[in-house]
Amino acid sequence: MSAEAALIARAEAILPGAVIIRLERRIKTALAVAAFLIVFVACCYDLGLSWDVLGGGLVKMGTILGAMWPPTSGGELPRLLLALVQTLAIAVLGTLLAALVAIPLGLAAARNIVPNPAIHFAIRRFMDLFRGIPVLVWALILVAAVGLGPIPGILAIAFSDIPRLGKLFAEALENVDARQQDSLRATGSSTSGVFRFGVVPQLLPVWLSQCLYYLEQNFRAAAVVGVVGAGGIGFELEERIRIFAFDEVAFITLMYIIVVGIVDFGSERLRAHLT
Amino acid sequence: MKDSAASTGTSSLNRVAAIESEWRQTIRKSRLQTFAWMILVSIILLGSVELSAVGKSSVDAGWIDRIASFVDRLIPDLRADALFAGRQVDGSLASWFYDLPRWLEAMRETVAMAFVGTVVGGLMALGLSFQAAANLNRNAFLRHTVRRGFDAARTIPDVILALIFAAAFSLGAVAGVLTIIITTMGSLGKLFSECMENAEMNQVDAIEGVGGNRLLQLRFGILPQLLPQILSYWLLRMEINLSVAAALGIVGAGGIGMELERAISFTEFDTYLAILILIVFCIFVIDLVSEQLRHRLIGLTQ
Amino acid sequence: MLELKNLRCCFGDVVAVDNASLSIAPGEMVGIIGRSGSGKSSLLRLINRLYVPQQGEIFWRGQSVTALKGKELRDWRGRSAIIFQQFNLIPRLDVLTNVLLGTLATRPLLPSLFKSFPAEQRARAVMELDRLGMVDTAFKRTQNLSGGQQQRIAIARAMLQDPEILLADEPVASLDPINSEIVMQSIAALNRERNITLLINLHSVDLARRYCSRVIGMNNGKIVFDAPVEELTDQEVDRIYGATSQPCQADLAPQKELKTARPAAVPPTIRGEPQLESIA
Repeated sequence: MSAEAALIARAEAILPGAVIIRLERRIKTALAVAAFLIVFVACCYDLGLSWDVLGGGLVKMGTILGAMWPPTSGGELPRLLLALVQTLAIAVLGTLLAALVAIPLGLAAARNIVPNPAIHFAIRRFMDLFRGIPVLVWALILVAAVGLGPIPGILAIAFSDIPRLGKLFAEALENVDARQQDSLRATGSSTSGVFRFGVVPQLLPVWLSQCLYYLEQNFRAAAVVGVVGAGGIGFELEERIRIFAFDEVAFITLMYIIVVGIVDFGSERLRAHLT
Repeated sequence: MKDSAASTGTSSLNRVAAIESEWRQTIRKSRLQTFAWMILVSIILLGSVELSAVGKSSVDAGWIDRIASFVDRLIPDLRADALFAGRQVDGSLASWFYDLPRWLEAMRETVAMAFVGTVVGGLMALGLSFQAAANLNRNAFLRHTVRRGFDAARTIPDVILALIFAAAFSLGAVAGVLTIIITTMGSLGKLFSECMENAEMNQVDAIEGVGGNRLLQLRFGILPQLLPQILSYWLLRMEINLSVAAALGIVGAGGIGMELERAISFTEFDTYLAILILIVFCIFVIDLVSEQLRHRLIGLTQ
Repeated sequence: MLELKNLRCCFGDVVAVDNASLSIAPGEMVGIIGRSGSGKSSLLRLINRLYVPQQGEIFWRGQSVTALKGKELRDWRGRSAIIFQQFNLIPRLDVLTNVLLGTLATRPLLPSLFKSFPAEQRARAVMELDRLGMVDTAFKRTQNLSGGQQQRIAIARAMLQDPEILLADEPVASLDPINSEIVMQSIAALNRERNITLLINLHSVDLARRYCSRVIGMNNGKIVFDAPVEELTDQEVDRIYGATSQPCQADLAPQKELKTARPAAVPPTIRGEPQLESIA
């Protein structure tokens, strides 16, 4: 014991603070951890998360999962397939609309296109503000505005993606390698020629691949907006959950997951090909 | 001498011609490809328009009027002279945001949902992602099972999950939190496991070499080198989850979204706008804070 | 006493170690030489059980460690420390913590997970760092240190394991000449002063000749030479490294070799090194 104490004393003399950790340092870490835990537990309490609630719910969840087996189409396979394709169509049109509006916005927000810093700063902040609005929030108000059907769905997807794509487009524009334009200018090309051969070839694959990525995401979003009345697979799912037809819910979900997998795979291949 | 010069001349001419025809072919091929792609894309677009029934449903006579009356009801009737008057005065800001305390309460619930969901979902993702990384889990069956689990959790629309959870746990924040946990686990789990597959394995070797068990190998061989990336993804997810939590309320899963739903069902569109402004403001503030934190984390790695 | 009997280890079709048998007395300092890919690293990793042998037995002090599992295996790894060519430290942790990681095998799990180590171990870590002249770096992040400093930290980590045998896998192959001398001397001192059995893979014959009392040569997974260092003639070196006529630059990572081997040959060497050029 004394040999140990002597060793500790010697080492502490060589390098003070390395061997005996001061209490205040320990208390600091302990306080940080405790503060985090307290906030976390308080949040759980606030949300009504308790073991009772979770336990009771899990039992019901078990029943629901049990009711999901075996999955069945309920004899409505053609209708479901149509809804699925419709959802994909909503995603395609929403992405297209978003891209069309995002192009001018992206041009205006790019530093190397618009020299006036006030303009592109304002546009960027504006897009940042709108970026946070979830697609479902858009869908809810748009359904109220234009009525049920795919149009509010398409518009909701477009509205929520315009600021996101706009920002990405602007960043891609700013990343365009200026040397290619310089070399074209050096050969005496016109401005439009410089743009056509110095900018577009670099930009188009990036923009296309970004659009494809958003198309993947929007296939999911299109299912979400269906729940508040924008048609497609989300509407079918919502209807069946409300009437507790969980075997059909399971069938539609599985079908949807598989198709999403296929779309993602195809789009990923295309994107890899593009870049 | 002359002969040979002439022959080289013709042969180089031939070569030029060959190159030119090859080039023409390439151009033709690429034009053909572009054309084929354009046709394919047009078919997809036309099909989409047809299938989504955009053309049939939309254009009726009262369309513009409807939009106009909607916008009219969306914009609050603010009066410049009464802007800062009390709640009872029509046209004041306070009467526009008439239920602000309750909305703030709901907003707090939304933030709590996002926080708890992100923390728990992220921890679950961290615990499982080791199993999904090819360099850390040699058991292919287990690895693919975990990966497919992540994929499924990411793919099922969050709103659908929330509805199913609401069926089991009744409407409210609990269903929302569980939904966020599942989707967060799926997306972060995928990202984390991809990080881990790019991790340097010699640090794991070192801990194995000194006699550390599996847990210690992950704790010291993997976690320190990936921590900045992991935390940065985690914070990013926290931002995303805030808007997810706000949206989930619309289907009854607690938080500010339920207030949005209520405003729509009473057709109080100006109230909807007020709540939306509140949401956007909160998301904006939290984004700023989180962005700062993330930049600091990335700074740490460099 | 370390004994290997007919050890064999392969990865797919590649035989890394083939029918290797040897016995090493306590306190010996044994150098292993051979071209890269000759199975030196695999041999050390087999002893530490980072690799699993397909055939054969490993005995330490008369007890088999070939089939150890779980806690016993980790215990054995704790007693047989290993030092790597690339140091294998945790770059984002500070030096002191890196050194303390050497105690993982003997410490309870929970405090270890939270990087909590008792004062006595911390004191030992400081003393080891001090002995290696590294105490000033104790609170620095490991990633900011030079290769020579990192390797010394790795040695300190190995010493915290309180090892009975030290396995060093090309400890100086990535270091510049001065640092490789410092590191080699620190390793040799451990053998001299603490009587730790030492098995060391070396990329340079010269280092083996100067530091080791016994040399093992490996070629193509087989042990082809095993004798006191005096018997390591140039002909034997050629035999170990394969062909005499063809210099094997390709196998020996020439840049590293140039850095370390050449200046090592400049100071007064104990034995001749005429054949070194053909290897370098």
